[in-house]
Amino acid sequence: MDRLIGRGPSTEDFERRLAELEAEVQECRNVNLRVAELTDLVTELLVPLAAGDHDGARALIERYHASL
Amino acid sequence: MPVTDVRVDDEGVFARSAREVILDVCFDGRRIWSFWLERDGEARDGGRLVHWPASLHDYLHGTTRLTLHEHGTEQTLYDEEISLGAGEGRIAVVDKRGNPMALDKDNRRVKTFDNRSADHVRPLMDAIEEVLAALGKVGVEGFLAYGTLLGAVRGGRLIGHDSDADLGYVSAHSQPADVVLESFRIQRDLGSLGYRTSRYSGAAFKILVPESDGSIRGLDVFGGFMREGHLHLMGEIRAPFERSWIFPLATATLEGRTLPVPADADRLLSVTYGPSWRTPDPAFKFETPRSTTRRLSGWFRGIRTSRQDWDRAYAQSTFGRGRGPSPMLRRVHDAVEREGTAPASYIDVGCGRGRDVSAAQQWYGVPSLGLDVHPKAPRLQAERHADNDLVRFWTFNLLERRHHGAVAAYAGLALPAPRLVTARHLVDAIEADGDPVARLAELARALLAGGAGTLHVEFLSTWGDDGYPEELRLARAVDPAEVSAALETAGARIVRCDLLPASDEPGASITCHLVADWSAPTTGGDR
Repeated sequence: MDRLIGRGPSTEDFERRLAELEAEVQECRNVNLRVAELTDLVTELLVPLAAGDHDGARALIERYHASL
Repeated sequence: MPVTDVRVDDEGVFARSAREVILDVCFDGRRIWSFWLERDGEARDGGRLVHWPASLHDYLHGTTRLTLHEHGTEQTLYDEEISLGAGEGRIAVVDKRGNPMALDKDNRRVKTFDNRSADHVRPLMDAIEEVLAALGKVGVEGFLAYGTLLGAVRGGRLIGHDSDADLGYVSAHSQPADVVLESFRIQRDLGSLGYRTSRYSGAAFKILVPESDGSIRGLDVFGGFMREGHLHLMGEIRAPFERSWIFPLATATLEGRTLPVPADADRLLSVTYGPSWRTPDPAFKFETPRSTTRRLSGWFRGIRTSRQDWDRAYAQSTFGRGRGPSPMLRRVHDAVEREGTAPASYIDVGCGRGRDVSAAQQWYGVPSLGLDVHPKAPRLQAERHADNDLVRFWTFNLLERRHHGAVAAYAGLALPAPRLVTARHLVDAIEADGDPVARLAELARALLAGGAGTLHVEFLSTWGDDGYPEELRLARAVDPAEVSAALETAGARIVRCDLLPASDEPGASITCHLVADWSAPTTGGDR
């Protein structure tokens, strides 16, 4: 009925929805960097830490930090 | 005569022209600045006035023989001995060591190649070859990109008005996260070869190459990849492209050396600089489509918010200097003495020059870690404590989670609880886009969860007119409720929140000193 009498969503509604959608798309894209950072932490720091001995751990952490 | 009525004064350069022209401004015969008359000027008296760029303001005091040419032509449009500003003597656009500077396409003052000898650029050319070889060792075929590719293809030389060199590569991956991981690996491998690097984004970093005169020249490494029929190359390109236009790589000569370039360099240069890339333009501005910027920013950027401001602040040797600890650390110490609750370790996030780390070391003698994004900021204190194994200063970016992980791991091993963690003028020093409050909350939780210590945060809550925020180069005032909410979301308990005037002056800025902790795990019941 709204459509028949010309009361569909307003331009403002579309603009707001578009801005929301853009923000949501960007949010999804942002996950890429986060995934890569966490993967790097696990593979380059946590796994070697878990596999190594306590004495070498500090050197390993400092080496990882220096490589960032 | 296309360009007429040229006049130059303290305001800028005025000229009339029936068509758009690129003009070079020379001081005493040396090119300093180039601009587009129509694009960069404002309408004035039937012509265009182009204001002097802010990056030149400090230098425009004295006399010079100023000449103006249309770029790429020998025709002189203006040639006068003129006086600018209030100063005396010749105008000299040089750095602290007297090296000639000029403005690049973004009007940044840089040491451009046009004044450099073959000896000067040899280390950079060596680095280009070495880095290309190193990329090859990790399975990535690098090539000349952006202005460096343009220089090689157009004339076999580094472009005179350019100031750094650019390399690119196209990854075998198509997922942005994989491209980032690969970029991390490449940077790590180059580090192990002895190169100093600085990361721009998840897909680009800079190699810092010392030149023969001791100055540092940047060699940028831009990651690229193919996705959905498009080449994406950090930091400006997304265009329909075929992989076969990149591989197998061809070669071109640059400064007498044979170096790799894309198979179809013409196509890459066309999507980079437009179809008129063969015509030199020292005032070129990228008109990157919004959709490209959004994609590249969404996937890769966000780790350098407000960084430029801090690099600039710490480039001044006097910035942040002072004596003794901050007023906040003094308050913390008073409470420690009153309550007899000395920490077993100390971490200062955003330690700046590192004075609080030194004070805490003097008071408590416990393992301490100073963290700052600017590698040189705490240099003096780091040197002072070089022989003290208890004290470390680390370069740390609050906006990079890998840095959080490294600090948390180090703390677990070397910084015993109860820990004292301070973050003074950190969340207000980074623009809201970087979400520094949430990042600090995450870091603090990693360091203090389970009753492992206390967090003291100080930030500007009201921007006054006493000059306090400007002196500290703060980016913004932050609502204490926002900080409390972010910390509580991260599981913290807000212990206290005090609002304090930053000075005795009327209209004083207000700072907020907020204290938080994470409760110890409850015992009993193992349901």
